[in-house]
Amino acid sequence: MTAETVAPANRPPLPGVEAPAVELTNVSRWYGNIVAVNDISFSLGAGITGLLGPNGAGKSTLLHMLAGFLAPSAGEVRMFGEPTWKNPDLYRRMGLVPEREAVYPFLSGFEFVRLSARLHHLPDPDAAARRAIARVELEGAQDRASGGYSKGMKQRVKVAAAIVHEPEILLLDEPFNGADPRQRLQMMDMLRGMARDGCTIVFSSHILEEVERLAENVLVVVTGRLAASGDFRQIRRLMTDRPHTFTLRSNDNRRLAAALVSRPIVSGIEVDNERISVRTSDFASFAQELPRAAREEAITLFEVTPADESLESVFSYLVKR
Amino acid sequence: MNRAIMELTVRQILGAKRTLLLVAFALIPVLVAILFRTTGRDTKLDEWTANTLYAGLIATTLLPLVALVFGTAALGSEFEDGTAVYILARPIPRWTIVVSKLTVAATATVALVLFSSILSGIVASGGAGSIVSGFSIALAAGAVVYCCLFVCLSIVTSRALIAGLIYVFLWEGVITSLFSGLQVFSVRQYVLGLADRIISTNPATFSARLNGIEGGILMVAVAAVAVIIAVRRLKVWEIGESS
Repeated sequence: MTAETVAPANRPPLPGVEAPAVELTNVSRWYGNIVAVNDISFSLGAGITGLLGPNGAGKSTLLHMLAGFLAPSAGEVRMFGEPTWKNPDLYRRMGLVPEREAVYPFLSGFEFVRLSARLHHLPDPDAAARRAIARVELEGAQDRASGGYSKGMKQRVKVAAAIVHEPEILLLDEPFNGADPRQRLQMMDMLRGMARDGCTIVFSSHILEEVERLAENVLVVVTGRLAASGDFRQIRRLMTDRPHTFTLRSNDNRRLAAALVSRPIVSGIEVDNERISVRTSDFASFAQELPRAAREEAITLFEVTPADESLESVFSYLVKR
Repeated sequence: MNRAIMELTVRQILGAKRTLLLVAFALIPVLVAILFRTTGRDTKLDEWTANTLYAGLIATTLLPLVALVFGTAALGSEFEDGTAVYILARPIPRWTIVVSKLTVAATATVALVLFSSILSGIVASGGAGSIVSGFSIALAAGAVVYCCLFVCLSIVTSRALIAGLIYVFLWEGVITSLFSGLQVFSVRQYVLGLADRIISTNPATFSARLNGIEGGILMVAVAAVAVIIAVRRLKVWEIGESS
């Protein structure tokens, strides 16, 4: 599979048509001789996108360029058609949750979020801060000095500060670090709600399960290149040079295995008493052949599960290529 | 200027420990003046006050060090701990951030240096003549220039404190003293030149090496250039470069 972009991003928007929320066009970034990001293009609209990649792959560099804190060495990074670099006005429409957990230790949680509201010149900073703190469920600790917060509480107060002005784009660098499972679920719900309201959310995470549960799209960055983007299940199906594995359960596993093994699209079968494990190189054809074979043999299928479509397997495959 | 940034900066740089230390430091010239008045004999008060107290102690040590601490803490500490993002990722022009931070740092430095210079000057010389007022005005102007330099330095380098100490003690303390042609690159010499011009005292009492008008012009020029560089560098500041 080759790198795929969600949409080509080298055309200026038509008059009257708003440019995509996030748009990268042939973006590269290098530090001396080291290429951190290499010729990446994609565009994103409303929804949640997970940014994945091993350490040193370039995902932080990418996120920092999106946030306007790194200049691309080549190409363009735009939000709503405007360059992010040297454009502080864009922060009216964008929120950023940085990875570093530092907050101003002498400010209470409420003061910290209100500071953000004041810096955004909101008409009623106190009310905006209260709303944002309520969204991250931090009311109980809002009057305590944030220097004494746990890691998870710092994450939440940072998120509150980033959403206090109700941004259209929210960038989060490892937002679930230090959050306990309940806080994680609460924050995921909040982000899903924002995405439903039309917000474009991009977050990086090294926890694949989080990305799998939250992100509608993934951007997989490997050694500075965009290895894949889009729905990770679709990405998996496009990886035609590697067999797909399905786990099947039926009322007669051995007869079903015999019916399938003769088909050219099946490259291997393992049978035990409980299940059949089938390998195929053609996902779409197999999806048609399997019910046909079951019908011909009068076999009832109880379970058809793609065995290796987890994000982890997709990610491992892409990293190893 | 931005009031929210200024209020934040006040709380940042006036932490209890730091303020107590600097106030204690500012009291040293007062103690020296008291010692001088109680033990000194056959010494001209004005001459000692101008040369030893002001030119020798406050202008060379207290002023640059207080400015260095406040100037580098105003923005540099945020780059260091990563909190600068919370100000930079807001729709605020970079010059507003620099000027707001600088105003707080300079005000704190001026207040502390004036407290020390006026009190110690009155103790040492009895407050008569123009030495106390003249030096105090020049020191206040110097405080602003030093703060401009050190705020700029904190944006340009992550080693602002070390670079500032090298500038104060090695460059101003040693090199510009050895080579008179380099005095035009020393804020300390601008302060002394300006003070000399304001107090218009007998050259035998105090005489600066740099002309006062030149010193004043250079002060304005250095402060302006430092602020311009600071704003320009902040506009292109990249995450990770000063942390």
